[in-house]
Amino acid sequence: MVALVPTLLRQELARLAENDARIDGRGRWEARDITLETDCLYNGEGSAKVVWGDTIIYAGVKFEMRTPWPDRPNQGSLMCSAELRPIAGRKYEPGPPSPESIELGRVVDRGIRESGCIDMEKLCIVPGEKVWGVMIDIHVLSDQGNMFDACALAAIAALRTAIVPAERFDVGEDYTLKVKSTPIMASFTRVGGRYVFDPSAEEELGGDERIHITLGDEGHLHSLQKGLKGVFTPDEFAEIFDVAQSRCVELRKLVANQEGN
Amino acid sequence: MGGYGDVKLLREDGLRLDGRKIDEMRPIEIEAGTLPGADGSAWVKHGLNVAVAAVYGPMEAHPRKIQRQDRCVIDVRYNMAPFSTSDRIRPGYNRRSREISKVTAEALESVVICERYPRSKIRVEIEILSAEAGTRCVGITAAAVALADAGIPMRDLLVGVASGKVEDTVVLDLDKAEDNYGQADLPVGILPNTGEIAFLQMDGDLSPDEFNLAMEYNFKAAAEIHDIMVDALKRRYEGGEN
Repeated sequence: MVALVPTLLRQELARLAENDARIDGRGRWEARDITLETDCLYNGEGSAKVVWGDTIIYAGVKFEMRTPWPDRPNQGSLMCSAELRPIAGRKYEPGPPSPESIELGRVVDRGIRESGCIDMEKLCIVPGEKVWGVMIDIHVLSDQGNMFDACALAAIAALRTAIVPAERFDVGEDYTLKVKSTPIMASFTRVGGRYVFDPSAEEELGGDERIHITLGDEGHLHSLQKGLKGVFTPDEFAEIFDVAQSRCVELRKLVANQEGN
Repeated sequence: MGGYGDVKLLREDGLRLDGRKIDEMRPIEIEAGTLPGADGSAWVKHGLNVAVAAVYGPMEAHPRKIQRQDRCVIDVRYNMAPFSTSDRIRPGYNRRSREISKVTAEALESVVICERYPRSKIRVEIEILSAEAGTRCVGITAAAVALADAGIPMRDLLVGVASGKVEDTVVLDLDKAEDNYGQADLPVGILPNTGEIAFLQMDGDLSPDEFNLAMEYNFKAAAEIHDIMVDALKRRYEGGEN
């Protein structure tokens, strides 16, 4: 039975794709409704909630004081991890972190880290002794498709509102964390034989491989990931890369608007 | 419990540090049906605590050895998000969350009409997004609303509420400072309509009289919270949604 439903669903998705249609009536590159809220959790030094269609994500930033790595005595650290708790959906089971949740956290982490939006040397308190460790934790409350983009959006929005809790650690006054840019992820999944932006849960169930693209403010690539079984051609990539450029600009505006409030 | 009397928790005028009276609750907001993918769900804000609960099921009980021939089992997971407290919590289960999950499951099994679903399992997921004392009670309240939202028959809506003691005074609904520096904490799960208790824990030091007064506060507060829970469910279903 488990295999039967996707087979029927795949046939239906393929039929729709022939007419360039999607199962929920959206255009091929059209996103679902997205709302972003920041500073929404009392104990997070930075926090964000993203409701992307029916996918709901929280991200929270915490700071830890730690000793620096011996080979980088004047640099702090940044880590982003995602928890796919069983609350996220019927298919999620309790247990140690799944490969899926580790991939999710690491892909989001790379996009933020490699964009260079955080100056690791600015996270140094006393060289060789004390540095800040910035932890971004992503909590998936509801997975109804395209978790990756929603998680990446929540993570960067939370980071951009973070306040360094220097007072609580007795090293001066609290200050806003300097975040130099806004890396944004756009993801594409092959549904009915061609790529679409922002797959729904149904499209993911009946779809194939996915590609995640994280772009910086200038449109430069900062992380790429291909997940699940499937292959693609350079031409296909060129097509979604163009779409990623414009989707990332729009999503970046969403983060900027939130900060303007 | 933390220190005894080394931190001032009651003001000269008899009110508490946050301005509440000794038998006054923190404000509570409840919303039912907040997670689209779950069979039932609830969001509860109690003071600065935020809990989200989801119910999945009834579903086939796996593995088979957990099945009961005459009733369903309730599988509860209480979890605090890493960013829910002032110091980050390492993700994953710990002894505290396991214990709370266990006693919460047993409390819910006492109110759900489990005989209706033989050989099944009902999954209850409780996530604490923001913690400021009393999260297990907020979790119980959220779980009860989520179960009702999922249409699971219950004998009553279980309400989580706590009283405690600070500076030798019994107070309702401890906040963070009162929990850390107070003398006792008495969290209970109450069935307001039947007057029964399905969840009980306590730590600290209470005289029999103080215990009785704390329980009296808890029952009074449970009736108030129950009204807010019912109101949340009515708002969800009277609007014509679903």
